[in-house]
Amino acid sequence: MGILNAFKVRMNTLAIVLIPVCIAIDWAGHAIASTLKLPLFLDSIGTVLGGLLAGPWVGGIAGLITNFISSGTVDPIAAPYSVISLAIGIAAGIAGYYGWHKTWPGRVALYILIVLVASIGSTPLNIGLYQGQSGLPFGDALYAGMVKGGWPTWLAAYIDEASGDIPDKLITVVVAILIFFGLPNRYRALFSVWRRPADEKAPAPAPSV
Amino acid sequence: MSEPALLFENVGYAYEETPREAVSDINIRIEAGEWVGVTGPTNAGKSTLCLLAMGLAPHFFGGRLRGNVTVLGTESRGIKVIERSTDVGLLFQNPFTQISGARERVDEEVAFGPECHGVPQAEIEQRVEEAMRVVGISALAKRHPLDLSGGQLQRLALAGLLAMRPKVLLLDEPTSQLDPAGTAAIFEVLSGLHESGVTIVMVEHRLETLCELCPRVVAMVTGRILADGTPQDVFNSEVVQERVGMPVYTRLARSVGLPAPWPVRLSESAKAFGTPIA
Amino acid sequence: MAGGLSLYQEGASLLHRAHPLTKGVLTLSALALAFIAPSLYWILGIALMLLILVIVAGVLRRLIAVALALLLPITVLLLAVQGFANPANHTVLFAIGPIVYYTEGLSIAAIAALRITCLVVATFLFSFTTRPADITEALMQRGLSPNMGYVLQSALQIIPQTLDMAGRIQDAQRSRGLETEGSLPKRARAYLPLMLPLVLSSLVATQERAMALEVRGFGLPVKRLNRYEFTDTAVQRVTRWALALAVPAAIVARLLGWR
Repeated sequence: MGILNAFKVRMNTLAIVLIPVCIAIDWAGHAIASTLKLPLFLDSIGTVLGGLLAGPWVGGIAGLITNFISSGTVDPIAAPYSVISLAIGIAAGIAGYYGWHKTWPGRVALYILIVLVASIGSTPLNIGLYQGQSGLPFGDALYAGMVKGGWPTWLAAYIDEASGDIPDKLITVVVAILIFFGLPNRYRALFSVWRRPADEKAPAPAPSV
Repeated sequence: MSEPALLFENVGYAYEETPREAVSDINIRIEAGEWVGVTGPTNAGKSTLCLLAMGLAPHFFGGRLRGNVTVLGTESRGIKVIERSTDVGLLFQNPFTQISGARERVDEEVAFGPECHGVPQAEIEQRVEEAMRVVGISALAKRHPLDLSGGQLQRLALAGLLAMRPKVLLLDEPTSQLDPAGTAAIFEVLSGLHESGVTIVMVEHRLETLCELCPRVVAMVTGRILADGTPQDVFNSEVVQERVGMPVYTRLARSVGLPAPWPVRLSESAKAFGTPIA
Repeated sequence: MAGGLSLYQEGASLLHRAHPLTKGVLTLSALALAFIAPSLYWILGIALMLLILVIVAGVLRRLIAVALALLLPITVLLLAVQGFANPANHTVLFAIGPIVYYTEGLSIAAIAALRITCLVVATFLFSFTTRPADITEALMQRGLSPNMGYVLQSALQIIPQTLDMAGRIQDAQRSRGLETEGSLPKRARAYLPLMLPLVLSSLVATQERAMALEVRGFGLPVKRLNRYEFTDTAVQRVTRWALALAVPAAIVARLLGWR
């Protein structure tokens, strides 16, 4: 099946070295947002970029480890969400394989995909672990209002979570795509030489490890 | 005749998605223990030569390889770079990007290569101590690599390669990002290695250094070999002087009207100018 | 000084000397049990046991400082929202103006907050008593691939490096007139000029680093040799098994009606 081809990449040295760099970009993205006091997490830019550049393994592992490390050093409350970061990286990798980031409809689709993965994935965790709340004041206020107003808790929890994900993932995807196309051509080519997208010509002998 | 350390036979190489070859018609034979300097203007193909000898071209970069590159008896198409790393090392220009980035101490960083090769722990410690001593960083053993200066880092990178006891050492402008002290330290280490029989191929821009240190020089221009011989022969050739340049001593001797052959080294120029040398 | 990420505190306590695997199992079991345990008293018990371990490890003061900063906001949010809006609410406790607070919601929130406290304390207990180098070594001894071990070790160094570089880029951009304070749109406009140079320079070095790694033999299929040994005792092994088995046992107990 086509989608499994997105995973058929050889994890050569270049791919392995890219992962820590993407992790660092995740952290930097969040740190700069904090310094500028922007009301967004922006901690998945590296994850998404890694997926677009080098596929679901790189994106997924980067997301997972970013979350592991931050859980162990600054925010253990985020620990259960490692699996969501993994899923976001994988989703970005699959979208990257199909080249969604190269067309305008595709970019919108990529954004919607990431928002859905993040919000639909996080909501059950919020419900099971944190009484449906996302921990963000604005979203939690929405949650309170909705539950009080008689809405089902799962829906209130979803709206709570999505209210944070919608703006956050929008900027994340925009920045990741801007960076992707801001890279010199040969770097993009370098990382994709060992992938085999269906719509590009057959690649020259891939670098072996 | 004994087997050469490096043999390029009619080698041509073009990078991925580049129609023009980076190097063409390369024929070089380097015997074990030689110290060969490689020089030329930018884009002459000097770095590519190193990448070919290491096998990074074509394995890492893809691209198209013509001819045969044989190092220590093995043809490079048939051996992976990581397998080649047991006997061949390559030191890059930039001290900061060639350390592993995964070790918090200088001695652990030096041990990285041997660890990848599965060398037993006791032997690793011995090799690390030896390599650090040869490059002169034993005092820095417990420091964090990122606390080191550029020159110290480059020596650390070299130690990391020496810990694998390579028979062939390739260096791509090893001192271009270093200050004079760092530069001198590296060349001192290389001289010692040359004495102990390591085959050295060194890309170097500074012609005075090249002529001083290397018994043999290869001059390249636009991907082809222009001259290959002793520094005296190579830099006395008009074509090389015009297209590559010449050491300052040669230029000076020429400009004051001294007859050919012109000196290429400090010691020779002192003689040529009639000054007794110390 | 490089390596500013780790929370590790030097020490020689029982926990410091324990095998990383033991501590890892301890943390995971504690937080799993905290979320599985049905009532306040059980969770309180777990929290107290963790607290005792924290005191034994000698990291109480630092842990409180870090944990409080994290736990306060979420606790306030939980109490504020659940006390007000939880569907199980019907016993009024007090009211702030038009906003009425109920005991059911508040106790549910208290339980949730306590569970989160256990999560945070258990995780920090691990981080405060274990060197990052030991974590990666222990993982690789237990089967983590050297490639992934490299990824972890490299990440732990490259993160603080990159954050430092971000600071330098910020200073440089500011001296060129970039505005990083003021209204939200102004601050938002500063994001890309700060991110882009950082990301590009990080990515550009990747190719050379990969080449340099191959030149050193990274990825050779050799059997991994342990770089050093951890002390492991029978007591620790038994403890690990007991803790690990406690989790499925607790789940079964819940299913059978443990309240």
